[in-house]
Amino acid sequence: MSKLLLVDDEEGIRKVLSLSLQSDGYDVKTAESGQQALKLFQKEFFPIVMTDIKMPGLDGLEVLKLIKEMNPDTQVIVFTGHGDMESAIQSLQLGASDFITKPVGDQVLAVALKRAEERLETKRLLREYTNNLESMVKDATEEIKRRYEFENKLIQRSIDGIIATDKDGKSLIFNPAAEKIFGYTEDEVKSLNTVKDLYPEGIRQKVFDILSGEKEIAEDDVIVGKDTTVMGKNGKAIPVRFSGAILYEAETPIGSVGFFQDLREIKRLQKELIQSERLAAVGQTVAGLAHGIKNILNGLKGGVYIVNSALKKMSHEEREDANAAVQEFPDGKLKTGWDMVERNISRVSNLVLDLLSYSKEREPEYEKYDPNIIVDEVCDLMESKAKENDVTLIRSLDKEIGEVYLDPKGIHGSLLNLVSNAIDACIFDPDTEKKWQVKVEVHADREGGVIYDVVDNGCGMDQEVKDRIFTEFFSTKGNRGTGLGLLVSQKIIHEHKGTMDVKSEPGKGTRFSIRLPKQEFTEKK
Amino acid sequence: MGKKVLIVDDDADIRTFASSVIENSGYTPEIAVNGEEAIEKIRKEKPDLIILDILMPKESGIKMYREVKTDPKLSDIPVIILSGIAQRTFTRSQKALAEFEGQTVPEPEAYLEKPVEPEELAATLKKFLS
Repeated sequence: MSKLLLVDDEEGIRKVLSLSLQSDGYDVKTAESGQQALKLFQKEFFPIVMTDIKMPGLDGLEVLKLIKEMNPDTQVIVFTGHGDMESAIQSLQLGASDFITKPVGDQVLAVALKRAEERLETKRLLREYTNNLESMVKDATEEIKRRYEFENKLIQRSIDGIIATDKDGKSLIFNPAAEKIFGYTEDEVKSLNTVKDLYPEGIRQKVFDILSGEKEIAEDDVIVGKDTTVMGKNGKAIPVRFSGAILYEAETPIGSVGFFQDLREIKRLQKELIQSERLAAVGQTVAGLAHGIKNILNGLKGGVYIVNSALKKMSHEEREDANAAVQEFPDGKLKTGWDMVERNISRVSNLVLDLLSYSKEREPEYEKYDPNIIVDEVCDLMESKAKENDVTLIRSLDKEIGEVYLDPKGIHGSLLNLVSNAIDACIFDPDTEKKWQVKVEVHADREGGVIYDVVDNGCGMDQEVKDRIFTEFFSTKGNRGTGLGLLVSQKIIHEHKGTMDVKSEPGKGTRFSIRLPKQEFTEKK
Repeated sequence: MGKKVLIVDDDADIRTFASSVIENSGYTPEIAVNGEEAIEKIRKEKPDLIILDILMPKESGIKMYREVKTDPKLSDIPVIILSGIAQRTFTRSQKALAEFEGQTVPEPEAYLEKPVEPEELAATLKKFLS
């Protein structure tokens, strides 16, 4: 039931009208003056107010004005005297919804009320709609915010570098992946006037010509997966797979976006793969040639031997030393030349044999063996080389180990290589005050494996050398090394499923450790 | 006249080299260029030692070695294998043949892998001939 406030100073009218309105279904309250009406209105809300214009004190126009101020939605219907057009116009100007000329006829009243009701309804609907709209806008804003955050996260987390620019080429987006590729921070890039130089050469001109309007929009304004390079902060070319596009708004270019897939790792792996394939091919070729090569080497050595035998005979039989005989030739040229031949035959022989054993796929030939014996054998072989160069060779055996399964030949070769290297490290040590020593240790580890340690106090290695010692054809020994010795040793250890580690400090010395895991005793195949 | 050593190798340079080592060690070298020729010479000359290559045309060292070691009249002659082939390859092929033929032959007295140092060859000769 709609509430209605009826304001009139004439008691008779109040009575008659309120009866009539009540019978129409309104909950009617009356006021006999403007002041009283306002008081009531302050206490409770009336959607419809009917007021007489002519009243002592506050008149109807004042009441209308004040009520509209208090609640603009309230429908105010005013009663005017007959022909009082001026009041009628004024009241409409003040926001009255209707005016009725006195005496009030039922029909006129009903029409006015109906119109007021309709207006109230419209307003209510409008308010509802507005309220809805507000919450819809709020929801939509939140959704946009969520999406923005989601998209931002996508960009931030993207593995590919992403750069987006505005029309002038200023950076809008420069994500962490891009930071990693280019070496610039986001702040550095955002402070640049243009990021043109970050785009790949050849692509950047086209993109920025389109953006600046110098060039017509081309058909091919999207680039997908082009392998190219970009320039990093350090001035180095970085291989990337670039995809990019011009961004449009209603056919007008507004910016650009570039996606950069970092190809450095892939390129590195490709290079490694090519390298290892090449090595494998070399290995296979070499293995196939091995037999022939070995015969040739033997032929060379045989030739040297025969020449040396002949020279010995030439120098009246009593000379034991072929070198002395050669020296009798004018200028000593023959000796120089012959020494060269001998030395280089020995070099090529060592290199080729290392290469052969490196390229050979071999399974360790396991047998029951005392690991101590290998240390003794190797040290016996190396004793004279050590002595000649003032190096003390110390063996540290572990009699508790007993016999284990290993490939004695393979381990012998590896250990011999390490001990020979260790003595070389002492020979190369410029600190002649030092008492050089090489210690060869063997002991069992807790899991039943065997550890060999070769420790020298020679020249040691810096990080660069240490990084390279296990790579092909690296040698610190100039002409004397083949650059394969350590590789061959490492290969043998790896075939044993073991590891070879190195610790070294320049000037202090080096420790090479071979760890062989426990081999289960199995019958030979 | 010193003891006779038969060199069986298809490579002329190896034959020259080995002959030289044998002569310098005070023995008499004989040569054969393949297994077929070698077997003939062994039966005729009865050498005191055989230096044998593996990979040769006509009859290979693998087969020839078995022929020598399964002939009771020849099996006492020490054989030094001198080859570019690794010992384990030789051993494996002998094992396979042993299974196939049902007859095992002893390991060679010495196995030297090419390239061999003249001193090592000389020492090995001495070991079996003195």
